[in-house]
Amino acid sequence: MTRLTPLYCQLRAASSCPFAARQRSQVAPAADLTEEIFTNARPYSEVPGPRPIPILGNTWRMVPIIGQYDISEFAKVTKLFLDKYGRIVRLGGLIGRPDLLFVYDADEIERIYRREGPTPFRPSMPCLVKYKSEVRKDFFGDLPGVVGVHGEQWRTFRSKVQRPILQPQTVRKYVAPIEQVTSDFISYMETARDENLDLPACFDNDIHRWSLECIGRVALDVRLGCLSSDLSSNPEPQRIIDAAKYALRNVAVLELKAPYWRYIPTPLWTKYVNNMNFFVELCSRYINEALERLKTKKVTSENDLSLLERVLRSEGDPKIATIMALDLILVGIDTISMAVCSILYQAAIRTKQQEKMAEEIERVLPDPDKPITYADLDKLHYTKAFVREVFRMYSTVIGNGRTLQEDDVICGYHIPKGVQVVFPTIVTGNMSEFVSDPAEFSPERWLGAGGRLHPFASLPYGHGARICLGRRFADMEIQVLLAKLLRKYRLEYHHEPLEYAVTFMYAPDGPLRLRMIER
Amino acid sequence: MFRSLICRSLIIHKLKPNISSREKIRTFHVSAGLRHGEYEWMDPKSEAEVVNITYVDKDGKKTKVRGKIGDNVLYLAHRYGIEMEGACEASLACTTCHVYVNHDFVDKLPPSEEKEDDLLDMAPFLKENSRLGCQIVLTKELEGIELQLPKATRNFYVDGHKPAPH
Repeated sequence: MTRLTPLYCQLRAASSCPFAARQRSQVAPAADLTEEIFTNARPYSEVPGPRPIPILGNTWRMVPIIGQYDISEFAKVTKLFLDKYGRIVRLGGLIGRPDLLFVYDADEIERIYRREGPTPFRPSMPCLVKYKSEVRKDFFGDLPGVVGVHGEQWRTFRSKVQRPILQPQTVRKYVAPIEQVTSDFISYMETARDENLDLPACFDNDIHRWSLECIGRVALDVRLGCLSSDLSSNPEPQRIIDAAKYALRNVAVLELKAPYWRYIPTPLWTKYVNNMNFFVELCSRYINEALERLKTKKVTSENDLSLLERVLRSEGDPKIATIMALDLILVGIDTISMAVCSILYQAAIRTKQQEKMAEEIERVLPDPDKPITYADLDKLHYTKAFVREVFRMYSTVIGNGRTLQEDDVICGYHIPKGVQVVFPTIVTGNMSEFVSDPAEFSPERWLGAGGRLHPFASLPYGHGARICLGRRFADMEIQVLLAKLLRKYRLEYHHEPLEYAVTFMYAPDGPLRLRMIER
Repeated sequence: MFRSLICRSLIIHKLKPNISSREKIRTFHVSAGLRHGEYEWMDPKSEAEVVNITYVDKDGKKTKVRGKIGDNVLYLAHRYGIEMEGACEASLACTTCHVYVNHDFVDKLPPSEEKEDDLLDMAPFLKENSRLGCQIVLTKELEGIELQLPKATRNFYVDGHKPAPH
């Protein structure tokens, strides 16, 4: 991430910068694809890969959903492809869907990202697409949001919401609210520990509740109450928690094990639709409340407005805000909570690095009770590098993808448009061609410790016009949690080592019984 | 991201005064919340406000533009038909407004924030005077600044499509 050569650092900071550069881009970004290149390319049919399918048995069933909603063996399968076939692998003959093309070459990935044009096509979740475009077309209409939407529809919607969601000056306003939610969460954690100070086996669920509460605060301007210790007095938070869990986990089942809903409304599909309807209703309700509040709110500048109010005011259409909130909830809860499971687990088993984070956090936040500011977070260099390194080695999202909208030449093969190109970031981030000593867990590499580090090898949030809309909020929430937690507590882990698995994200699989000890 | 962390820790970290002053300016002009680029379409009200800048496109063609204090050079470029894309509309999510700042002016700009550096890491043809156009807001001090577009910052369009300003 250090973009500068040491020389440049010297020029700029008038002092020698101890950190070397991240490997610079070597790829001419927009080289024209000439006739000649196409003529010399080898035909698509020659791209290596398993064909027909039987080599993989039924695992191909796991593959169809690229991106965030991948499943179980996918991480292993993609690695196996690389070992067996090389840096470009074609998985063809899939029933009712385009070929998948796995690309394990960071230079090619970079080039593909660079030439993707103004409306990249990112394949995702057919059942959400069906819900938005068919089942509830009445509600979603012509602007169904960003997830599972493409072309001009996508661009128009994204353009309405991306500035408030991504701009650091909006995110900055949420440090205090997220800190509040996180304080409540840590208070809960304190009381939830057993006599050994171990957190309960269901702690991953608790992280889930925290991320849900964070998203409610950001997207709906409300405390949903999911962290409340007494969920029985108010049934709604529990219902939201269950629905959120259900929404994503059943996507996997619906799309992989039981895709019959495409033809007939199966009971599972009906349940999925009801569940989605619940979310639409929930978001609509809170957003109407926000709209009412906004009517009487005294606004002297843009600064007085929350993210939601900003969208409501500039668009004048509560539906845009509702759909934005829905997309944020659907893709934001599991991604962030699974990433946090992974980060906390790694912190607990890597005591040396955890101590380094804790020292840094203490230096930046000498008074543990003073509110955290955005400027404080900016100073947590090592802590951010730790997170980045966890994402590199154990990428929560195992891959990303694009549907080619034009023919291309990739790794010397002529690839026709319509093919789904998969960028398995979990594999490329661990390839020694692109990252030095990939098996070594070293946050320092992100601080310019030297060695290879291809900028496109590990891209947890993707890149380009369709880069993760929630990335700044995700980063901020993770940083606030680490800062609050490690400032006062040490994490340890005293149980059987956890294996990583892809359930729908890549994360430690099993009871996350971290030990939380006062420093 | 971490260049800022390190080298920046030697420089005093400024919290983007340019953005906040711009927001202040805008709230007077824009009623229905922050749209983007409208401000740049307004002519300077007085000579005192004028900031002259020059864009140099990828073929070396120079375009002189009379901007004003508070203009974002990305949207100003759109107004004058300069091919600076800005796919993410200044939300700091892409590198399609990558420019080279002529050296006399590099130090007159507020230092880039970590998030800008983070993206510049991903920019093609990176140089030491690279910045993102969407993060440059004109001040009187920038009178005469020259911004050069890299040979090819933009995505490659097979059909020769040129991005229109949004």
